[in-house]
Amino acid sequence: MAQKITIEPVTRIEGHARVTIHLDDAGRVENTYFHVDEFRGVEKFSEGRPYFEMAQITQRICGICPVSHHLAAAKAGDNVAGAKPPRPANLLRELLHMGQIVQSHSMHFFHLAAPDLIFGFDADPATRNVFGIVQANPELALKAVNLRRYGQQIIERLGGKRVHPNLAVPGGVNAPLSQKDRDAIAAERETMVGYALEAIAIAKDLLGADANLTNSFAAFPSCYMGLVDAEGGLQLYDGEIRVVDAKGQKMAQFKPQDYKEHVAEHVECWSFLKFPYLKALGWPQGTYRVGPLGRLNVADKIGTPLAGAEFGLFKQINGGKPVEGSLYYHYARLIENLYALEQIGELLDDPDILSRDVRTYPPAELIGHGVGVIEAPRGTLFHEYWTDEHGLLTRVNLIVATGNNNWAMNTAAGQVARAFVDGTRLTEGMLNRVEAAIRCYDPCLSCATHALGQMPLHVTLHAADGSILDQVRR
Amino acid sequence: MLRTLVIGYGNPDRQDDGVAYAVVNALRQRLGQARLDEDETGLEQLGVSVDSVFLLQLAPDLLDVAAGYQRLIFVDAHVFPDVEDVHSVLVQPEYATAAFTHHMTPALFLALLQTLYGCQPEGHIVSVRGQGFDFERGLTPATVEQVAPAVERIQALLAAK
Repeated sequence: MAQKITIEPVTRIEGHARVTIHLDDAGRVENTYFHVDEFRGVEKFSEGRPYFEMAQITQRICGICPVSHHLAAAKAGDNVAGAKPPRPANLLRELLHMGQIVQSHSMHFFHLAAPDLIFGFDADPATRNVFGIVQANPELALKAVNLRRYGQQIIERLGGKRVHPNLAVPGGVNAPLSQKDRDAIAAERETMVGYALEAIAIAKDLLGADANLTNSFAAFPSCYMGLVDAEGGLQLYDGEIRVVDAKGQKMAQFKPQDYKEHVAEHVECWSFLKFPYLKALGWPQGTYRVGPLGRLNVADKIGTPLAGAEFGLFKQINGGKPVEGSLYYHYARLIENLYALEQIGELLDDPDILSRDVRTYPPAELIGHGVGVIEAPRGTLFHEYWTDEHGLLTRVNLIVATGNNNWAMNTAAGQVARAFVDGTRLTEGMLNRVEAAIRCYDPCLSCATHALGQMPLHVTLHAADGSILDQVRR
Repeated sequence: MLRTLVIGYGNPDRQDDGVAYAVVNALRQRLGQARLDEDETGLEQLGVSVDSVFLLQLAPDLLDVAAGYQRLIFVDAHVFPDVEDVHSVLVQPEYATAAFTHHMTPALFLALLQTLYGCQPEGHIVSVRGQGFDFERGLTPATVEQVAPAVERIQALLAAK
């Protein structure tokens, strides 16, 4: 008889979601769904607000990656106003962004992902968490805390607060960087680079311990999307959007303001999270992946030396073609972490970083429409605003990083469920593998659906008549 | 006197969940220190025998700050029906996992301090009963009345040694 397994909530991710696994009569996995039940409504309640408030409003979508929304909103606001920021302002915005990349990527690897990799998918949940890592290796845990702190302090020095900073405004930023803050950020950077290299070594050891698993776990072909610079190099702050196909061939490269010619959104009745896809290929053939794996699969190079060298090794995994295994997101994430730390050094050494020329004031007449795109830690983030002649928003469209990976998370969960879940003999470790597949994408569901959720914490296996056959509790 | 850090935390956009902000500022006033503005945490103003900060939540990046103190006083809202409106309790280090990735208790905070920094400050929680947690700023009248008693409770702890 057909049965359904529910994983609720999915643990060690940002935000709330559940997974349902539907079994056939023989107990084999038939279908798997990744349900996101949060609903935020930011696009709607922002209507009527002045466009320049969005840098503050949208960053309150989330407390994990507020800087991404803050900067995407400011970039959209630059275009609404027709006010191009001076170069020093863009340097400061990028510095803020690098601080966020460091704190977000470090936190994800050590806090959310590493417990599975270090202790194993089947380890006791009581210790298969960050506190297990603290107790097993306090020295490593302290380095992780310091990496996150370093990123948070960059944000605080530039934007006044670690969460929901106040820096970017349409046309630039609201304050220059002081020499004192510049020197304080520079003072610890090399130490943090050392920690980042250590994290990469740990990840490579862990992923290499069972190469067959790493290469096959939630591995599937897809298109990939990410920003690139003029030379095709990795770009996290600004550039053109590049899309490659499953073989790594460039399908499209376009300016951010043209995204709607290339991207559309599909809706399913069982989730509030939409499914972006490429118009050129239609739904579902046009689905793609973003975030660290997506970005490294579209980039031709990374422009900083240490991360660039690691990128070369990454590219060898699949002979220069896109790397498909979802577990490689963790490796790609740490390469980006290293890049961000190196890029912080480049920015601090730039002669314009202390300049006081940080704002272009908007002209009297607004353009009235603007797009801002940035590479958030989790992937490509789109903000688009339309305003009236007074600058009040008439329409808002957000395609948030995690949303771009919605199809991929569903696919990953389904593939792992089929490979590991045996409906006749349910174990916690089987279900943790399904969650681990989703964790690879570091989803931020609070962002992507624009809540407060109830948190029941058990998995039940129901028979077709509704009776409970088995239960697993966390 | 033991060097003390008073850590207030909560969400001022959820009514009484932000009571610690009022308590910290009332304490700062009594100690002759400048109040914290809305966007200030107090982390940039440390360095006296009794420091105070206000944050949205306890976070790992606060650990290295807290490691420099001999006593920590955590201030928050509570909804326990069976304790006093202003409830003060000694807290011991204890590991316990949480359903949310961003929830850290004072006990866990102390446990992490002990494991990662090798320090064991004295830990206290002073919590104030919250009556309303709607999406708005400002305390309910009943909770406003508990701010002064909460400050007095903190000052009693400060005077104890």
